[in-house]
Amino acid sequence: MTIATTRRDFDKRKFFAGIARGIAGALLFALPMLMTMEMWELGVYMDRSRLFLLLLANIPLLIILSDRVGFEETSTWRQAIRDASIAYALGIVSSAPILVAMGVIKYDQSPHEIIGMIALQAIPASIGAMLGRSQLGGQSNEDDNEKDSGGDDGNPVQERETSYAGELFLMAVGALFLNLNVAPTEEMILLSYKMTPWHALAIIAASLIVMHGFVYALSFKGSHDLAEGTPSWHAFVRFTLPGYLIAGLISSYCLWTFHRIDDVGSTQILMTVVILSFPGAIGAAAARLIL
Amino acid sequence: MTKVSNHRNIETSDPHWIEWIIGAISAVIVLAVIVWIGKDGIADHDASPDLEGIVLQTEERSDGFQVIFEIRNIARATASQVKVRGEIKDEALVLESVETVLDYVPGHSKAAGGLIFQQNPAGKQLTVRATAFDEP
Repeated sequence: MTIATTRRDFDKRKFFAGIARGIAGALLFALPMLMTMEMWELGVYMDRSRLFLLLLANIPLLIILSDRVGFEETSTWRQAIRDASIAYALGIVSSAPILVAMGVIKYDQSPHEIIGMIALQAIPASIGAMLGRSQLGGQSNEDDNEKDSGGDDGNPVQERETSYAGELFLMAVGALFLNLNVAPTEEMILLSYKMTPWHALAIIAASLIVMHGFVYALSFKGSHDLAEGTPSWHAFVRFTLPGYLIAGLISSYCLWTFHRIDDVGSTQILMTVVILSFPGAIGAAAARLIL
Repeated sequence: MTKVSNHRNIETSDPHWIEWIIGAISAVIVLAVIVWIGKDGIADHDASPDLEGIVLQTEERSDGFQVIFEIRNIARATASQVKVRGEIKDEALVLESVETVLDYVPGHSKAAGGLIFQQNPAGKQLTVRATAFDEP
């Protein structure tokens, strides 16, 4: 437990360690985007209604993420909401000083520009803060020992069932995570302009193969196995195809948010979505292994 | 559902029917995308852009007369660094010429921009057209 749940057993040291982990996670995940030119520009010019929608959509995402992969397995919705607000705030307070320190935000800029840039960067930073708190060693040593020794006392970590919706949600987070890194860059649209439809079809095939291979074929830690006697196409239809669809939907949303598909023809939009879904699909597959 | 056990995950062998429904819908959508892109791969062989300039509106602004235009690309190939020249003509005489560059005009798509003239184009001949482009 990183943050104590009641006032009585509130542990100051653990609380600040949790905050520090959040900031570390925010840096780890958001620095590539803090150093991307398009992200500064988008913060200035992107449509405010799309930015507003993105900022709103981030709230339920953080809450569900906190409930699902937060540092405490048994957290209630109230705790999830609290952790989500902390992560969001950490995202804002960790990206603002970096933008100032790098000279991206200057004192003579209008509040419209400054707030836009910080708000946009706070999205990946807050997701990073949330993941950082759970993935950068969220449990104390005692918890780890419990996990290693326990097992027959119904320890939830030893034997738990993740719901289908939970798996799909994890894939969405993984896809969003890799997508956000590259979606704002000009390279995504440029690649789709360089590609012919045949290149796009090859990318679709590659995405599906890599995605399926990541989760089922390669023996990574956290790999998934099929129950005996189940044909492998079962998992392909039930997990890989929906996962790819989710990666595609997340890609479309990112591209729309960043004005990358405005006024663009339908085939060209599909090709941009396909190329962005490639990292998205890998992110979705990786999330099933890691989270 | 997926069973997590000792850090090995085993997919259940009797999944809920909703997993199959979602899987089937996904398969249909992915196939539709493949067919749509493949159809364009077979049918559309236009290898160079086909650009057409259209004036959308003219209004008086602080710095002159602002002409909003649109460049449409009706071919499949994308044009990048599209130079656009707007001219106000009186008969054959060019009164004023203004240029801008659009980053991209993707295939089967359009891109908009603005030109600012000192003179009022009303009553005169106003043309906006692409004069050069790069391949991306």
